[in-house]
Amino acid sequence: MVKQLGFVFDIDLCIGCKTCEVACRNENQTVGTVRWRKVTRQVDGSFLSLSCNHCSSPECFRVCPENAFTKRMDGIVEIHAERCSGCGLCMEACPYQAPQFDPITHKVTKCQMCNDRIDQGLQAACVEACPTEALTVKDLYTFCQVNGMGTTLGFPDTRLTNPSIVFLPEKERKRYFQMR
Amino acid sequence: MKIFRNACPRNCYASCSMLSYVNNGKLVKVAGDDQHGYTKGNLCAKGYAFTQYVTHPNRLKYPIMQSPRSSGNWKRISWEQAYTIIADKIIELNERYGSNLASGYNKFSGNIGLLHYAAEAMFNSIGPHTKPKGNLCLTTGDEALKERFKQFEQSSPEDMAAADLIVIWGANPAVTNVPQMKYIFQARRAGAKVAVIDPVFTETAAKADLYIQIKPGTDGLLALYAAKRIADSSFFDENYAQDCTNNFIQFKRIMEKVPSADKVSELTNAPISAIEELAELYIHAASSVTWIGFGMQRTNIGGENVQAISALAAMTGFLQKKKGKLFYAHDDLEQFPLHLLKFPEQKHSKAQASRAIDINSFAKNALELSDPPLKFLWIASRNPFSQDNNLQSWMKLIQQLELIVTVDLYMTKTAEISDIVLPAATHFEEMDLIVSYWHHWISINEQSLAGYFESKSDLQITRELTNKLNERSPGFSTFPSELEALDWIQKELSPEIQELYGIQDYTDLLSGPHLKKPEKIPAKEKFSFNILDVSGYLENIKVQKDSLLFPYQLITPQSLLTIHSQYEHLSWLIGTDENSEDTIAEISAIAAEENKLMPEDSIEIFNENGWVDAKVKVNPYLAKNIVLVKQAGKKPINWIIVHQESDQCQETSTHFYDSKVNIRKKKVSRNG
Repeated sequence: MVKQLGFVFDIDLCIGCKTCEVACRNENQTVGTVRWRKVTRQVDGSFLSLSCNHCSSPECFRVCPENAFTKRMDGIVEIHAERCSGCGLCMEACPYQAPQFDPITHKVTKCQMCNDRIDQGLQAACVEACPTEALTVKDLYTFCQVNGMGTTLGFPDTRLTNPSIVFLPEKERKRYFQMR
Repeated sequence: MKIFRNACPRNCYASCSMLSYVNNGKLVKVAGDDQHGYTKGNLCAKGYAFTQYVTHPNRLKYPIMQSPRSSGNWKRISWEQAYTIIADKIIELNERYGSNLASGYNKFSGNIGLLHYAAEAMFNSIGPHTKPKGNLCLTTGDEALKERFKQFEQSSPEDMAAADLIVIWGANPAVTNVPQMKYIFQARRAGAKVAVIDPVFTETAAKADLYIQIKPGTDGLLALYAAKRIADSSFFDENYAQDCTNNFIQFKRIMEKVPSADKVSELTNAPISAIEELAELYIHAASSVTWIGFGMQRTNIGGENVQAISALAAMTGFLQKKKGKLFYAHDDLEQFPLHLLKFPEQKHSKAQASRAIDINSFAKNALELSDPPLKFLWIASRNPFSQDNNLQSWMKLIQQLELIVTVDLYMTKTAEISDIVLPAATHFEEMDLIVSYWHHWISINEQSLAGYFESKSDLQITRELTNKLNERSPGFSTFPSELEALDWIQKELSPEIQELYGIQDYTDLLSGPHLKKPEKIPAKEKFSFNILDVSGYLENIKVQKDSLLFPYQLITPQSLLTIHSQYEHLSWLIGTDENSEDTIAEISAIAAEENKLMPEDSIEIFNENGWVDAKVKVNPYLAKNIVLVKQAGKKPINWIIVHQESDQCQETSTHFYDSKVNIRKKKVSRNG
């Protein structure tokens, strides 16, 4: 692969507004309960915005009996609907709940990092919509930031699949709560 | 695929311009408009959810009527039937009482497009009637800022990016003004400090460099203390300040009454170090922003707090050659002709003028009307049965109403108690003009979709209903029903407005929103401080004692993914993790312990006005005497909120946050 595109998520900048999550639905018109991107609040009050992590060693790719998954030269993991039988093995294998069952087509769908938009030189819909630039896409082969982290609070085990995501930590702040 | 330029008409700071992508008459997606200099191509989650909103299965498609009222026994009727029933009722009431005073409306900000004032025009066109007056939302703060500092008026919220201190007093832009966070973070990246003063540890507070949790209603004291520290500091040039103001000496005398840090700390509940740190930030900032949120003015003491903070803002701005700015809301809208809102009232031989009743206590005041009593009510752009206060009075009022008509897009709480519900258009299905109360851009809203089933715009309804009235009783309405939406838009773009926004006509707006030109500030105009009675204010703070019966202050902020009760039906928004069917009551860990409550317990939040069922959520950051409940939902929290009219006769907003409540564990019914 010549590149590994991946999300860089700056926890310090995320305000939990869910714009990324709904912009994804607007762009991709996912049906019913299918949410390719989800924003969740963590126990410490910070937020995570997660979708498919376009892993270096994607389990979905490995377990699919129909070989419906491919990994592009830029690292994006795609699913090809015409090959998917809807068996759901990938849904069990993925630690991040990225592949989801479409109740209308009875096939699995997932975030493809807006590959059509990326091919046109546009940003992924979630990235474009983020009002605070908390969410960006970078080539992780060349991206380097000293405080970048491979995992964070609330993120599942990364050892199996080596997800293509970098987290930037929250900064310290001064807070005075009421005395009484 | 066709692309149209729209503008979000919600009552929101951002008034985003947006693009709609339409394929074969169907809305396939929406996008931000990068021509909009404030939103810069972004929308919020609610904005991106419009593709679901427009064709949601719950959206109202046809005029419907129920009999009896509240039975849910709806049947579809034609527009013709609806207009006939409504027109006949209005005309019959006119014959019965000799004027149209028995007919009235209740309308507010569900859609802030200028053409939505068509409802007001419709009533003006039939002569004296009954109508609401005032503004539920902003008046208390507006009145307190009436001595508007000319020097502050030009501020664009985009300018926040250049500040080196941003102090947000009781606003939560991370939830209610998402695009503003971009400018706040830009400033922060460039080294600015961001401080948030708020009783609630909000999403915005979590992103601030300095957060001070303050006792509700004491913000002004913190501000006065900072103002006093500034005046006492060696950086402050008193002679310059005296040149700028008429009454600086009086103001200084006031500041002498501001108590010492330990007393301020005791009254505000903020540690002394926090109070001093805020003052130091203000003293050393070269260009500060002071942003007064709407939440803090929703109390009886709100006006005084706003006055005190605005005085601090003056001290940090032009009074010392600094670039301090004040933000609240502006009234660019009032520069427009507003032909529909100000449509001339038809003269009447006997009734002199319309009966205008305070919108904050609409139902209560309407019940007091006699000769004639209110008998017909038209409700548009509003959902009072979820969002107004004193719903007990509303329940009484509907008993005496002979016909209630609601215009809305969804089956709201108010639609549920109406006789006739008329399906309203979304902004994609009508043309309009949107003016913000926060930034200085105007946007045109093109019609990008044909009407959804039989939905119609407020303007179209006014045109057709006034035609029907004139058909049944010639000359009943003076409304010029031949004028189209575009005609009204062109009337709003008067020569003065064209000059102000640098446009020739509406077609200029089709290529993008336009920014208002900066107006010339009158040179050397002296500023007068609003003189706050500090002793009285301190008394007011002190008398806010804990009540034994109702020890908790009820605070009911906006949810992230709805505006008031709008968007409640959308699974894209409501289906996300943090929303639930139940009303959630956030309480402190101490309150949970004192009441022996666990998370998820069912409780009743109650006071003298009634109760609302809720599920407990323990918020570790909440002060012990606050109960926090988000607005709207199945049993809206507003059922237990009653606005207390202030003893001063000035106009106010609705003081939603003066409500005191208690909580108790819900008893399990023995009957199962």
